Amino acid sequence: MNRKSDRAWYALFVLPLIFVFTTVVIIPFLIGIGYSFVSWDGLPLNEKVFVGMNNYIRLFSDKRFLSSITHTLLFTVLAVVIINVLGLTFALIVTSQLKTRNIARTMLFMPYLIGGLILGFIWRFIFTDVFKAVGEATGWTKVFFSWLLNGDYALIALVIVMTWQMAGYIMIIYITGIQAIPDDVVEAAKVDGAGFWPMLLRVKFPLIMPSFTISLFMTLSNSFKIYDVNVSLTQGGPNNATEMLAMNIYNEIFSLNNYGYGQAKAIVFFIAVAFITLIQVSLTKKKEVVM
Amino acid sequence: MKKLGKVLIEITLMIVCAAYLFPVYIVLANSFKNRQELYENMLALPEKLTLEYYLEAVEKMNFSRAFGNSLIVTIVSIGIIVILGSMTAWMLVRTENKLSKFLFMVLVATMLIPFQTLMMPLMQVMSWSKTTLQVPMLDSLGGLIYMNVGFGASMAVFLYHGFVKSIPVSLEEAATIDGGNKLTVFFRIVFPMLKPTTVTVMILDVIWIWNDYLLPSLVLSNKNLRTIPLSTASFFGQFTIQWNLAMAGLMLTIIPVIIFYLAAQKYIIKGVAAGAVK
Amino acid sequence: MRMKKMFRILLTSAFITALMLTGCGKTTDVDKTETSGTTSGTKETTQTSSEPAVTKIVIFQSKVEIVDQLKALAAEYQKEKGIEVEVWETTGDDYLQQLKIRLGNNQGPTLFSLAPGSESEDLKAYLADLSDLSFVSGIAENMADEKDGKVVGIPYTVEGFGVVYNKNLIDASKVTTADEFISMLKEQQGAGVNGFSLSQESYFLIGHILNTPFALQEDPKTFVEQLIVGEVTMQETEEFIEFAKVMEAVREYTNNPLEVTYDKETGDFATGKSASIHQGNWAYGMFADYDVDFEMAMMPLPISGNDSLAVSVPAGWYVNSQVSEAEIQAGKDFLEWLYTSETGKRYITEEFGFIPVVEGIESSELDPLSQAVNEFTAAGKTIPWPMNSYWPAGIVDVYLVPVAQEFFTTEMTGEEFLVKLTEAFVQAGQNQ
Repeated sequence: MNRKSDRAWYALFVLPLIFVFTTVVIIPFLIGIGYSFVSWDGLPLNEKVFVGMNNYIRLFSDKRFLSSITHTLLFTVLAVVIINVLGLTFALIVTSQLKTRNIARTMLFMPYLIGGLILGFIWRFIFTDVFKAVGEATGWTKVFFSWLLNGDYALIALVIVMTWQMAGYIMIIYITGIQAIPDDVVEAAKVDGAGFWPMLLRVKFPLIMPSFTISLFMTLSNSFKIYDVNVSLTQGGPNNATEMLAMNIYNEIFSLNNYGYGQAKAIVFFIAVAFITLIQVSLTKKKEVVM
Repeated sequence: MKKLGKVLIEITLMIVCAAYLFPVYIVLANSFKNRQELYENMLALPEKLTLEYYLEAVEKMNFSRAFGNSLIVTIVSIGIIVILGSMTAWMLVRTENKLSKFLFMVLVATMLIPFQTLMMPLMQVMSWSKTTLQVPMLDSLGGLIYMNVGFGASMAVFLYHGFVKSIPVSLEEAATIDGGNKLTVFFRIVFPMLKPTTVTVMILDVIWIWNDYLLPSLVLSNKNLRTIPLSTASFFGQFTIQWNLAMAGLMLTIIPVIIFYLAAQKYIIKGVAAGAVK
Repeated sequence: MRMKKMFRILLTSAFITALMLTGCGKTTDVDKTETSGTTSGTKETTQTSSEPAVTKIVIFQSKVEIVDQLKALAAEYQKEKGIEVEVWETTGDDYLQQLKIRLGNNQGPTLFSLAPGSESEDLKAYLADLSDLSFVSGIAENMADEKDGKVVGIPYTVEGFGVVYNKNLIDASKVTTADEFISMLKEQQGAGVNGFSLSQESYFLIGHILNTPFALQEDPKTFVEQLIVGEVTMQETEEFIEFAKVMEAVREYTNNPLEVTYDKETGDFATGKSASIHQGNWAYGMFADYDVDFEMAMMPLPISGNDSLAVSVPAGWYVNSQVSEAEIQAGKDFLEWLYTSETGKRYITEEFGFIPVVEGIESSELDPLSQAVNEFTAAGKTIPWPMNSYWPAGIVDVYLVPVAQEFFTTEMTGEEFLVKLTEAFVQAGQNQ
């Protein structure tokens, strides 16, 4: 094998996808960076004014943007932990010998299929009407009241709905990982007399490290980017308590027509998130077992 | 004792699942109700099981056409994503150099960009390709497929990347020595071994592409090209939403995905069971 | 084994498709347009004048409720004039954003709808001059959207909002001042009925109701401008103080609007659980599935002696100025036909159920709420919609809703409420 042909093969394998990816994602993203230096409403016939770094400077005194960062961080931490714990638990259960595992698999993944306005309509009904009715019926009004009227509870409601949506999705990734564990390894551990927990922690977990990397990353990025659930469930309310970053940016661009400023927010957001998640990926990647 | 415990777990699991499906039940139940019935009690079973709203939804959505479009877009997009994604991921893992690392990082990092911030420049690029290059990316299913591939690339590469590592290099080397070129080595040896990941990618992408609203809504205008989610738009007025039609439409949208999932799942389980028996 | 073979064939074919799509995209995609049909004809916007006659126009509009009727109308037009009319659809919520993206990339429709006011102001550069349409002079006063002395927007209809009430429960002649309104709320509560209801969705929560004190200003436009630069405040303006008093009473004596959806609001009203709601004639369609056993009507929101309904044009027709001359003309021809032909007029009144605003179109039978709007309009008792005309774009959803949510979830006083609303205007106005 000479180097030239290696390069040709490399190009043949990698280039087609990278080409598509570049035209669809990278170029628009770079154009977006360009727009973050102008003041513009997004319509080509209307005036663009170059403002340099002004959009970026303005960010740091935008209280609402800063508080949406806090909400997003808090939300992400909660959502990532809960979704992964639940998703992994589901995956372990449905790959066991239980009779009901097949039905369970299908049922658990169905929530991901319900989105948008209908999702919001249903869950708002649950958190408002159903919760109130349960509270009145049981007298536990401290727990069961209109959650969406209280900022803290509304945030938790978002975590619940996000978990409900994503846990089954993440479960699928963990299932793949668990099924890739060679049976002989498990058998050998069994022969050695490993109990449930040692088996899980010492044998299974290290072997599904790639699944952890992927699941953590996917939940992290999806939680950071949360938009659909946010808009349909709380619209950022009450009183901005649940306004997440993506929604803040979206409103800036499409409701307030500040396209350049919105892009600046998006860029800063991207850099921050990329920083955090890439650290996560490189940390968990190191733990992966290469066979 | 152990048996009892097992039964208990099974029961608990079913209860969890039922709770999980409660919102799905609400969708189903209310797809049979008129506005007054829905208002009176969203949780109650419908008074009568009339297919009225389903039929109306099917007609207004031009369902068979939309179904066909969704099917084409989903299958072709996923086919391309799976093949190109696995090829790219394999090459990136097996060729350890700076370029590979860089490409991988770029692919992964872009998964963090919210689509809403890309859509305006994306449409700019695509409309430029339509007017200047005469490549009709807008208002064509091919264009939508192309963009789906672009947006699906990252996740596919990311998933495959993780699992390619668990494949022993020795097998590939043996095949190479036997005189296979990289393409045959990849498709004969590597790709079949990636099957579990392929199924995963397919499932995740089906869920995404089949239900996607935002991107197709920007790309497709012509009514003959509408995918299923787009065809339900007329049920969602700015103020007045026709919940029964919307929910019937949603049920019609997700049933094919569930069928697909059941089929795909059987396929994974077969693999596992075969391994277990040995 | 067979499976494997099939798999391989499948792979190979998919791979070839992939290559074609990426590498030689040009050829395959050009083929595709022929089969999938070209759209709008807005493609060549630059070299326009030499284009052949237009055979197809595209309509994109926000009123999802009339989309079925509009498609039927399109078919009629094609039958009569031989020009195809394609109707694009989207959900009511993302219409404006979609329109902007399409217009911005030269993929715009021929005809589209906008709310006259800040919406049409933003898109001014994309609006063709419609002054020479024959019926323009017959449009009711102040209802045509004019920019720089040219008519650019043709009104769909007028809509009005106010207090929609149940005639069995409320005697409108006894609710003409804020105090009477408040005592009505108390009475209804005593009788176990919810006296008045807003709902959680942006305009239904705060946009419409806050419109009234603005509309009552002598010059709403100047008022908004002064408000934004801090020369006036709501807490020092009489109409707003009275508005706040009413809002405090609403918070105290009625259901929390944040727990009420539009569906519940109208449902409670239709079933007699609410005596009145703050809505407009558009809401009448929501009652279609109910057996409403009472008469309903609409009355003014009685603050600071207001005796008028807020009536204005919710949406207008606009022609895209960025398409070819021929296509602009085709778009105008369609409007001409819609507003002057028998078929067109019949659709406006009977099928769309619109209150006509152009001379020569007689309204057909109106529902009770539209009837009320029509009567108030005929009597000259209307106030405008500064919320569309002069408020900064996006203010309701982004700035006013959070303040209203705070008001309805805390003990904040009416005055604090006004202070925060004023701040919201200052912020939104200065961000533009």
